[in-house]
Amino acid sequence: MAKYLIKRLLRGLASIVVVVAIVMVLIYSLLDRQGIFAADTTYTKLNNNAKTMYMYRQWQKYGYLDFITYADFLNGLVKSGELTAEERDSMGIGRTASDDSPEVAALVERFTQEYESQGFKVVRLKAVVAKRKLATGGQQQLFATRDRPLIDRLIKHFTGIITVDNIHYVPEDRDIGERGLTFTTHDPVYGGEQFAPAIMGNGTKHKYLLYFDHQFPFIHQNLVNVNLGLSYSIDTGVDVLQIMNVTQGSYVLSPTVFPTGLKESSADDLHSATYMADTRQSSKVLEERFTDDYTGVVTLKGGKSKMGYSFSIGILATCLAYLLGVPLGIIMARHKDGLVDKIGTFYIVFIIAVPSLSYIFLFKAIGGSFGLPTTFDVNSSNALMYLLPIISLALPSIANLMKWLRRYMVDQMNSDYVKFARSGGLSENEIFFKHILKNAAIPIIHGIPGAVLFSMTGALITERVYVVPGVGDLLTRAINAHDNGVIVGVTMFYALLSVVSIILGDILMSMVDPRISFSNESR
Amino acid sequence: MKQETVNLKALGVPEEELFSLVTHSDVESEKITAPRYSYWQSVFRVFFKKKINLIVLGLLAVIILFAFVYPMLIEYDRFANLTDATAKHLTPTAAMAKFGSSIHWILGAGASGEPTFDAVWVGSKISISLALTCALINMTIGILLGAVWGFSKKVDVIMMEVYNIVANVPYILLISVLVMILSASFWTMVFALTVTGWIGVAYFIRTQVIIIRDREYNLASRCLGTPITRIALRNILPFMTSVIVTLAATEIPSYISYEVFLAYIGIGLSDMSLGKLISEAQSAMVTTGWQFEFWSPVVVASTVAVVLYVVGQNLGDASDPRTHM
Repeated sequence: MAKYLIKRLLRGLASIVVVVAIVMVLIYSLLDRQGIFAADTTYTKLNNNAKTMYMYRQWQKYGYLDFITYADFLNGLVKSGELTAEERDSMGIGRTASDDSPEVAALVERFTQEYESQGFKVVRLKAVVAKRKLATGGQQQLFATRDRPLIDRLIKHFTGIITVDNIHYVPEDRDIGERGLTFTTHDPVYGGEQFAPAIMGNGTKHKYLLYFDHQFPFIHQNLVNVNLGLSYSIDTGVDVLQIMNVTQGSYVLSPTVFPTGLKESSADDLHSATYMADTRQSSKVLEERFTDDYTGVVTLKGGKSKMGYSFSIGILATCLAYLLGVPLGIIMARHKDGLVDKIGTFYIVFIIAVPSLSYIFLFKAIGGSFGLPTTFDVNSSNALMYLLPIISLALPSIANLMKWLRRYMVDQMNSDYVKFARSGGLSENEIFFKHILKNAAIPIIHGIPGAVLFSMTGALITERVYVVPGVGDLLTRAINAHDNGVIVGVTMFYALLSVVSIILGDILMSMVDPRISFSNESR
Repeated sequence: MKQETVNLKALGVPEEELFSLVTHSDVESEKITAPRYSYWQSVFRVFFKKKINLIVLGLLAVIILFAFVYPMLIEYDRFANLTDATAKHLTPTAAMAKFGSSIHWILGAGASGEPTFDAVWVGSKISISLALTCALINMTIGILLGAVWGFSKKVDVIMMEVYNIVANVPYILLISVLVMILSASFWTMVFALTVTGWIGVAYFIRTQVIIIRDREYNLASRCLGTPITRIALRNILPFMTSVIVTLAATEIPSYISYEVFLAYIGIGLSDMSLGKLISEAQSAMVTTGWQFEFWSPVVVASTVAVVLYVVGQNLGDASDPRTHM
């Protein structure tokens, strides 16, 4: 059994890799790259060569290609000691290739050869001259560019998923004092008086690698991090998982002691501090509060995270669906062709036939006329606002459960074992609940893990209609904003959920029904 | 001796399970020919025995007439009244007072002053065509491939992996990519909805084939040397007719619903369609007079879907030979 499941899981993971590869081909190769500039005001303001350079820089940022300018190349030479800083400044390229001095021409030749051998394409843009003067943005440019190959991109994505924080995260040339991990029994966040063990790092990405606080599960770590992909436009520079999990709403202020000793009522969560190069000197506010460059803190907010809202609505809707759908399905099958069956069938037809968008609006209108809140407010503590989204989400699931449970039960009713049980003198109720239901419920049970796990992904229409700040529209928003990192991350997350939920469903099914066994390969 | 009588009704045993008395007739017992039986004749006999089917078919005829013939008879110009600020979002009474009583204005006027009644039928034509085309393509490919998938264990191993992969590529992403590459025309939409849509149908058919494949009568047939194609066509396909018809009954409405959903999230058709009408009216909900704009396409979409669903379900029931007795 275990061996079979591990094999299934591995095959599932392999298919996730293929899914991610397909998605990468779709978004990086098939979609028009120009699309990312559609709503970009900087792009429209730029002209000539500057516009081209900006385009390449943005494409590099969004992960389409690798892009190295001649200036980067020169800086590299300075770093390796081949050129001095003064020499570098005199090595700029001329307006056209023929204007280059022999030294510059040699360097350009070297640049070209070095990058062309790595598969780059070297592009030289002549200066744009209008009336003998340089036009705006018309500066001459030399750069090398290469579309990132799919394999590289895949490897980079999958090796970057799990990162272990280490003291070499901060670039070695930065002077940040002694690198290393320190263990303290008195966490300075709590003023250094209370017993609270913590492991802190210098040179790591996170300042706190392990700490305790009063929130479940009380012990937290930042040592091993899961990254699904960075966002470029939706929430710049933030990982997909964090976009889903960061709290929303208004700030929750609490008395905080900053590293400098400054006491203030603040929403900053000092345990989340990450290294941000050169931030402390650049800001008076940060300088007053922090003693080092670990200034990237997450602020605590009163509401739940995107996934928190989606999951709490989704899981309650799923529970409601099973609590109502299963008994109703049983009653429909028990009184086949009776009144309940007819009403139930009408309801199922209604849900199947009417476009989901319109019945959600219908329920919103009906709920609104009863005085229920129809829009979601993150800062409100009114539990009633959850009611309509939950009902809207549960109604189709109820119909679906009723439809299938009734179908399976009616199919079982004509089986030989039911006739046998009846001839053996069992009462109809006994036959129904002890024999038919047990057999008919197996495929329903198979779907439970999927229903629970997929309540994490939210529901697009329901969340939009009721203005729930959930994860449901993350994928569509990412597609519209060409946020490729988020698209890949979200797709991978969904694919993982579906692989896991099918395997869990199979395990659950084999636990309920002893006839189903996965250990025998030739079943 | 006291005779014990058992009240069968009290036990809850259904009538059809009980024995009933059959009188002997010399004439009847001489007959040895089976009654003439034609499959499709029996299907339609059973189908039309239910009176509701006639009503529903009538309704379907009316809708199809309006959706496919009415747009040909009128000249529909969406932006004819665009510059007239007083022609927008009108209730039926207001619209008829403004433009005179004609059939065009019985549902009021929409966001750009167009007659809602005309817009609904022009939209229905596109939406119904889209749903029927997609269902036809997906069902054909899905059934053929699903049958092969169910029959061959080698194909099953490969196809299960293909299914795992294709089912996990988000269809919103796929559709938006295709729409962005190719433009949001009717045939792009058909392509986008069918390029992976068939796999769901094929998977469903595969499961059904696997259930029936190893039944005793098929094993017997194979032992007698019947070729696989003949088993597929003569033994299994008739068994699946009702399943296929029921599937079609749910597939067609689902494409209409899909189309509405896609229009709502902004990757729908560029032509006027029911989905586009609904999502446009939805964004106009803050202005007064939106009700007719919103609810009339909803009602038409729902009616089409309900009608097709009911016809499909009842045809599915009728196509099950066990109901022909």
